[in-house]
Amino acid sequence: MKSSLLLPSRYKWIGGIVLIPSLILGILVRFKDFSFAFLTVPEGQARVRSTSLNFDEQINLTDELALTGMIVGLLFIAFAREKQEDEFIGKLRLQSLQWAVLVNYVLLLVATWLVHGFGYIDVMMYNMLTILVFFIIRFHVILFKNRSTAAE
Amino acid sequence: MKNKIKIERARHSLTQQDLAEKIGVSRQTINAMESNKYVPSTVLALKIAKLFQLTVEELFLLDEND
Repeated sequence: MKSSLLLPSRYKWIGGIVLIPSLILGILVRFKDFSFAFLTVPEGQARVRSTSLNFDEQINLTDELALTGMIVGLLFIAFAREKQEDEFIGKLRLQSLQWAVLVNYVLLLVATWLVHGFGYIDVMMYNMLTILVFFIIRFHVILFKNRSTAAE
Repeated sequence: MKNKIKIERARHSLTQQDLAEKIGVSRQTINAMESNKYVPSTVLALKIAKLFQLTVEELFLLDEND
């Protein structure tokens, strides 16, 4: 039983190392309007164009950097092989993913009816990442529970 | 589905960890099978049966829910 889509188990740590600074950067960008000056690109240059929501002449790529780091970090953690990955662990992995997808969309549905206007953009922004976060938490909780009951 | 893994394991004086190592799975997998929480793949069932020198039917039995 080989799951070809998994990364070596050390990627769990690499993912953490990528995730933590990106998460901090993301929080700074979101709540403190932080940006790296060197990542400012005048509009029209390169292949980046501002969206209709961004009326500035220039755009800054700090948020792109933070989001990329968060997604890559979470993907590495989520797709890292367990040290003893076997068919049962694989089953727990798939069940956790199914649970995460369901919970993620239930929450999105609830938020769709409760959050309106610009706040909904925040909801969608968090929702991009929560599916991986829910999966990682659920999978590791189940693994931990199985490990403790397996203790003889 | 029921199985006699725990009985056979005891008969061969193996711990869950020993059995896990012999057939190349995690200890959680052995534990989940023994507590009927996990039905193994055919490959894994054949491996365990081979180790205990039994047929798969001797080791794994259908129950009324199957």
